[in-house]
Amino acid sequence: MISGANVSASASSKGLDDDIDAENPDTALYEKLGELTRFIDKTIKTISQFSAPMSATSEQLPDATAHLRDLRKLTEDGTHKVMQLVETVEDNHKRVFAQLDALAQHLTGDEAAALASIRAGLKKDDKPLIDIITALSFQDLVAQRVNKLVTIVEEVEHKLLELVVVFGPYTKGAGKEEAGKASEMLKQLEASKNTSMNQDVADEILKQFGFN
Amino acid sequence: MPADLNMKILVVDDMSTMRRIVKNILKQLGFSNMEEAENGQEALQKLKADTYGFVVSDWNMPVMPGIEMLRAIRADEKLKHIPVLMVTAEAQKENLIEAIQAGVNSYVVKPFTAETMQEKINKIFNK
Repeated sequence: MISGANVSASASSKGLDDDIDAENPDTALYEKLGELTRFIDKTIKTISQFSAPMSATSEQLPDATAHLRDLRKLTEDGTHKVMQLVETVEDNHKRVFAQLDALAQHLTGDEAAALASIRAGLKKDDKPLIDIITALSFQDLVAQRVNKLVTIVEEVEHKLLELVVVFGPYTKGAGKEEAGKASEMLKQLEASKNTSMNQDVADEILKQFGFN
Repeated sequence: MPADLNMKILVVDDMSTMRRIVKNILKQLGFSNMEEAENGQEALQKLKADTYGFVVSDWNMPVMPGIEMLRAIRADEKLKHIPVLMVTAEAQKENLIEAIQAGVNSYVVKPFTAETMQEKINKIFNK
């Protein structure tokens, strides 16, 4: 993690005014700027060491997103399957009710009472069946949370790729051409922020940095 | 006035499972004439093209969320009389106030039961 980087911050923690020689302000300032430049360079090199793990993580994030989308699809398919089975039972009940009603026309006395009792018993299934259907609304809530997770993962992916571009080999001691490429990739990342993460852009960036 | 069991009902939700669940409950309550839409925009097109007596809609949907669709319905001279029931996971007080201000007739929070939906529908049509 970047926060764990072993970078000395002493150079930046002291105020410039503390060390500037009053008799030779130009020399002191020059030395201070040199010190600051070395500190920045060291910091960039240290952060660059994290480029590989960041890229590896970035590579895995699209997989994580795909897994989350699969999860949403699996719960959706499973929910439809259960509903289909419940609907089949409901349809069977309707058919049996119709048959019982037709049969009731020809029965009297105890036989009619027995038939009515069977019908009432069957009718009791209506509520549990609709309760099963209603309970399946959990899938909608799951899907909404999965959608939120997908958004978070995509944002993290963007941030990581930005870091890869900024501190990656292109910018580390890079010339104008490489810096231009890094800048272009940052623009692509920025442009893809408001849409679903473009896998091609992510793959291209990772490829440019040698993470195939 | 009790609800007309033959009226056409539009069920609006981006999740196919929720549309099926709501339709099942409405069927259980005796309604038989139901149509579906995946978002507010599609719903408005259907509402303008046919005659509906009731709309049951989700809040969070792509393209056009339920609250925008509701405002569009209330702003349309031909549609503004249609009762709208929102069925949503947006359970914040602010959401409910926003929906009420936009002209919702009732509001069901997910997850819900068939009894809750029946109670809300009865209240809408027995006013």
